[in-house]
Amino acid sequence: MNNSLSVRHLLGIKQLTPEDIQLIFHHAEKFKKVINQPIKKVPSLRDITIANLFFENSTRTKLSFELAEKRLSADIVNFSSSGSSVKKGETLIDTVNNILSMKIDMVVMRHSSPGAPHFLKENTNTVIVNAGDGTHEHPTQGLLDSFSIREKIGDLKGKKVAIVGDIKHSRVALSNIFCLQKQGAEVMVCGPATLIPRNIKELGVQVEYDLVKAVEWADAVNMLRIQIERQASSDKEVPNFPSLREYSNLYQLNNEVLIKAKNNPLILHPGPINRGVEITTELADGEQSLVLQQVENGVAIRMAVIYLLASHIKR
Amino acid sequence: MNILIKKAKIFQNGNKHHLRTRDIHIKNGRVLKISASIKDDSAKEITSENLCISAGWLDMRANFREPGHEYKEGLANGLKTAAKGGFTGVVSMPTTHPVVDNNTAVQFLKNNSATTVTEIFPAGSISQGLKGKQLSEFYDMMQSGAVAFTEDTALLNNTNLLSKALEYSKTIGALVYSFPYDPNLISDGQMHEGKTSTLLGMKGIPNVSEEIQLSRDIQLLKHFGGKLHVVAISTENSVNMLRTAKKEGLAITSSIHAHQLSFTDEAVSNFDSRFKVLPPFRSEADRKALIKGLKDGTIDAICSGHEPEDVEEKKREFTLAAFGISSLETAFSAANSELGQNYPLEDLVDKFTTAPRDILSIPIPQFEEGKVANFTLFDPTKKWTFNREEMLSKSKNTPYNNSKFTGKIIGVINRGKSSIDN
Repeated sequence: MNNSLSVRHLLGIKQLTPEDIQLIFHHAEKFKKVINQPIKKVPSLRDITIANLFFENSTRTKLSFELAEKRLSADIVNFSSSGSSVKKGETLIDTVNNILSMKIDMVVMRHSSPGAPHFLKENTNTVIVNAGDGTHEHPTQGLLDSFSIREKIGDLKGKKVAIVGDIKHSRVALSNIFCLQKQGAEVMVCGPATLIPRNIKELGVQVEYDLVKAVEWADAVNMLRIQIERQASSDKEVPNFPSLREYSNLYQLNNEVLIKAKNNPLILHPGPINRGVEITTELADGEQSLVLQQVENGVAIRMAVIYLLASHIKR
Repeated sequence: MNILIKKAKIFQNGNKHHLRTRDIHIKNGRVLKISASIKDDSAKEITSENLCISAGWLDMRANFREPGHEYKEGLANGLKTAAKGGFTGVVSMPTTHPVVDNNTAVQFLKNNSATTVTEIFPAGSISQGLKGKQLSEFYDMMQSGAVAFTEDTALLNNTNLLSKALEYSKTIGALVYSFPYDPNLISDGQMHEGKTSTLLGMKGIPNVSEEIQLSRDIQLLKHFGGKLHVVAISTENSVNMLRTAKKEGLAITSSIHAHQLSFTDEAVSNFDSRFKVLPPFRSEADRKALIKGLKDGTIDAICSGHEPEDVEEKKREFTLAAFGISSLETAFSAANSELGQNYPLEDLVDKFTTAPRDILSIPIPQFEEGKVANFTLFDPTKKWTFNREEMLSKSKNTPYNNSKFTGKIIGVINRGKSSIDN
């Protein structure tokens, strides 16, 4: 196994090789042991400073990145703004360069615009970790989801994973698709047609509108959060489904669906869960649910990514 | 002014000099003599390898952002840029601040360009203030030199407005432009809807958003009459619809942006906002259909679609960046390079000169002794590399930096002036 990544930044899963993914998993396994020890820290990044720039609201991902950085002994600074500095007229390049002039080694960024980290890479000189760019990618989520399934059922080659819900507005979906396919897994997306991109089949995934059939088919189902706030971007746009009630009637994962499907797949959810909307509490907290492992693995995966990318930084 | 153009191949269908290599003597803005060989030591000689000359080219859609956003281009600089791109005439869009919706605004543009080599032919807005409520004074604006009426990207989204505009235009023989897209289907769209937009998680602009509007325009034209010019066509279906409409004998013409021939949606793969344009770069099938449409005459003209945008508007996150490229200086070279050797040069020249002039009812300058000299000089075979640093446009938002082109503009002659010595 190579001991360094083929990329200098984590912009998306799309840029990673299958070997990169295995290397990240390998290190994540080691770091998972570390965070389960009495002393949960390693001194690896004592001389590294990381800026967490969140231009879009986030609680969990930000917390997870911060923990990962602290467990690696990096110094960190945080910057949060929900798009307001952009509206005030300061450009993204300015904001980031201002922060970088304070000698920052790495930037973890969440931004509402697809490709914002790619744009930053072209225009600044720092190591970039994409913590979610609009409706494009959320690479560490894609990695931690695969890592969590893999812990339960081993190598993903030939395994079947269904992603259910709002595929169109989901960065989690796209990163999952790329990550799973690079490991040889089969991917299906399931949800109302208005929430599935029209050209998604060209990415080599199956499309299924019937949740029961998707559950019947899958070894694992990844239930995405239904984001009611993303359903209409302007007054001109008609929302993509009639109501949460109707959505739940069609796409809620519950016991009835499992019985009809005669299958009991692993259940993932990137959080935060709308309990009683896309999934029942019973299943979210049930035996097959990986929800809490996902959160724990998130820290390990992010430690692995940051650790591997930091090895490119001149020290 | 005393210019002697040496050994230039003349492009003017129907003229006795057509496709012949001639010397052309131009003095005080008029053609003095055309002959196989002319000598005049006092004249400034223009020579170039593979020199070709045609009637002055006319750009059917460009923006100079004056009044309002002069820092992006401005009239004076924009017209100089147009001259560099080979155009002796430009139809400017009315979407300025304030809007060109009255006679005074048209006069402002005309008066402020009275002595430039390249002439401006303003298009007025269809509705007052581009608000879609009330027709602008077409006739009054035409008196000062408006040549067409359009809402351009502000959109003709109201069928009642377009029907009234078409019907009213018959009264005075006005030409109506339409830039077809349905904003309700675009809503926040950033690029062509297809595999690439899916891979990038980017909201798509589906082909149907253009086609539904075009099909509506055609139906209204059929019913209400008038003359309609459709600009910025980008899809295969649009070309097919136009072909049928023309067969039916409707008074419809169309044009494309030259850069539409150069790229497909895959150009956007790296989130590079220099490739963000409206209409978006579409699929390879669409691009090929445009070439076919040019060949069979379904698409009448090629225009620059010049959209100068400063770096603050353009160099930013893709979804926040402005649409458009600064394209006056690349239109011909891009089209010529892409269409290449399999495309008859005569026909390409026609798309830039006679076709736009015919559509706009602007006379075609003639290669005849005594006539006004309004010509474009170009070398269709010259190989060169485009460099954004050498652009004349104030806005350097171009996807063509370092592109290798075949064919270059040598200069233009018009209004007793030449851009060649500048």
